[in-house]
Amino acid sequence: MKRHPHAWRYLSVAFLLAVLGIAILVQIVRIQNSPEVAGVINQGDYVWKDFFPPRGEIHDRHGSLLAGNKTVYEIGLDLTVNPDMPTVMLALQMSGIDLNEVNYRISLAPVNAQYIILDDFVSTDKAEQLMTLQKAAHSDPTGKNLDAVYFKAHYARSYPENDLASNVLGFVTEDNHGYLGIEEKYDNILAGIPVRMLVPADPRRATEYPTIPPGQTIILTIDRKIQAAIEKILDQALVGTGASSGTIVVMDPLTGEILAMSSTPRLNLNDYQSITTVFPGETPFNRAISQAYEPGSVSKILTMAGALDSGAVQPGTVFFDTGSILVGGFRIVNWDGGAWGYQDMTGCLANSLNVCLAWVSSTQMGSDSFYSYMQRFGLGHATGIDLAQETSGRLKLPGDGDWRPVELGTNAFGQGVSVTSIQMVMAASALANDGQMIYPHVLYAQIQAGKQSNTKTQIVGTPISANTAHTISEMLANALETESSAALVPGYRIAGKTGTAQIPLSGGGYDENDINATFIGWGPVDDPRFIVYVWLEKPQSNKAASVVAAPIFKQVVEKLVVLMDVPPDAVRLQKNGR
Amino acid sequence: MNNVTQIVQKVRQAPWRVQRQWIGLFLLALVLMAMVAGIYLNVTVRATLAGREIQTLRNEITPNQRDNADLETQLAGLTSFEAVQQRAEAMGFQPTSPDDITYVAVPGYVAQSAVDLSTPGATQPAAPVILPEYTESWFDYFMNQQAFSASAGGQP
Repeated sequence: MKRHPHAWRYLSVAFLLAVLGIAILVQIVRIQNSPEVAGVINQGDYVWKDFFPPRGEIHDRHGSLLAGNKTVYEIGLDLTVNPDMPTVMLALQMSGIDLNEVNYRISLAPVNAQYIILDDFVSTDKAEQLMTLQKAAHSDPTGKNLDAVYFKAHYARSYPENDLASNVLGFVTEDNHGYLGIEEKYDNILAGIPVRMLVPADPRRATEYPTIPPGQTIILTIDRKIQAAIEKILDQALVGTGASSGTIVVMDPLTGEILAMSSTPRLNLNDYQSITTVFPGETPFNRAISQAYEPGSVSKILTMAGALDSGAVQPGTVFFDTGSILVGGFRIVNWDGGAWGYQDMTGCLANSLNVCLAWVSSTQMGSDSFYSYMQRFGLGHATGIDLAQETSGRLKLPGDGDWRPVELGTNAFGQGVSVTSIQMVMAASALANDGQMIYPHVLYAQIQAGKQSNTKTQIVGTPISANTAHTISEMLANALETESSAALVPGYRIAGKTGTAQIPLSGGGYDENDINATFIGWGPVDDPRFIVYVWLEKPQSNKAASVVAAPIFKQVVEKLVVLMDVPPDAVRLQKNGR
Repeated sequence: MNNVTQIVQKVRQAPWRVQRQWIGLFLLALVLMAMVAGIYLNVTVRATLAGREIQTLRNEITPNQRDNADLETQLAGLTSFEAVQQRAEAMGFQPTSPDDITYVAVPGYVAQSAVDLSTPGATQPAAPVILPEYTESWFDYFMNQQAFSASAGGQP
């Protein structure tokens, strides 16, 4: 075959192209594996950064914003452009930025750093002031400049109501983690899914950040108006009674929705850093769920409910009170040390007779029946309320190492057993709700992709029959009326019970000076709309719950009936044609 | 007749004619390649412009969302319980007690219920709207076009 006379030209061009292609490939591989490129990350040109989506909002049941987001700024310094440090520091000072914090951050920066975060979570006002100074510096004739200062806007948590419902809400720290309350319990759905990616440390090279879907918005069962009302009443109660702390819980007994919950102290959530000052030592953040105590006589409603339900007693069962009773070898006496003679079961509740209730539990019910009912009422177990840091209290049972026979008697009137406020509220919901005990919850609904899904009512159990629930409610309402309780609200029939409890000492025995004053009640009796639990710790003005706690309950109910549109019984029954 | 055949034969086999055929084929290939490159460039430019526009809009969304969050929080602060209560008291309003209230039966009155924050018309998250021209291959594109033409032509 004859070779083309100019073939060498084509071969040369093909060879050159092949060499060029190979050279390009070699160069690509060399660059990818070169120590210079590998060193880019190590030298701090790139940093791992977490991108947090906007945190979901928290609203009250009527849509008022309880927790939202606001813009704050990270203020950084680009060290690659030889910053004018005296001018930068002066501008920071003029903008009200804490120079101590700035100097501390500078001192922590690595030697070869290209970018330093001077301050973070800087308010919009301060950042805008600094931006104004930066613009002004551009036209500075002396050459001063703030070109090395960079601003990165991001979200921070904001609580428009400050300390309102703070015991329920909890707070979010700068690392975007929720602590305590709702913020901790629902942190995973509120926070959304953060994204971690490698970004250039030099802010001028950061071009595109990922789009991250926001966290879910949630709606609470809390009613802002009721919450504000009970917080005000609680604060006034502490001043009026000299109590060391207080707790008020309001729940809808039919749904388990917590309408309001407050304890002292409260925290301005926008200043959560002061938590160690506001809550010194072991102070619980939310006493309603985190502090168990011996409730005293309020637990008599559970004893009596169990006794009625088991058939151990009837409302008309008569007990002759001699002023003392022996249980497990120990003598139990009444709160006043007196003997009250013949009493029916309503009288036992109205006069809060320890001897009578100890007789009911020890003689009429027996330990198996009594503790079975206490367990069915949920004592000794956490309620599972959707708030962080709930404690379970303690119900000692026969067979436990530290249980003694006398406790069958003392437990009947709330001694030797510890409960939280929310446990008592949940247990009492069975009495107010036809025997059905309702799971207490704070989450009303969550919003996902624009759709709202509401929390469904959950029945924890049915510890007593509906008939028993009606009977005990009537007995308690009659008892309040018989004793002309300070808890009575004109126009409304209320069922309730006081509890004046001694405070156990860590070394054994009971404190002779201080008490826990409690009142639990619900109403209207024939159609309950609310359960209210009031607990004052160590009141000083008086040592009787009927004097210090019952009037607080009355104040709360007077607010509730207005805010919840609950007309007086006569009006309501007339409207219903009864 | 033989002469004519010979002339045609010679013309067909003339070197200049063979060369022209090759040049014609080369130019045809070049034109085809230029057309493909032109179409490809056109599509690429449109995709890039659309992508850039999306990027710009996304960049605008972020500060807008932050502004919204700021305004919402500011509004919540201005309408916070404490702020509203102070304004109400300054205007001479007083808290109500049960004794102040007269209840009137209003037919059809519906008591205030809990809020519903559902977005009107919200169903499922919107599917990303990217035209198939931006995602399908050339082969898919031509096949789809052909199928579309066939189905359109088959309509009665």
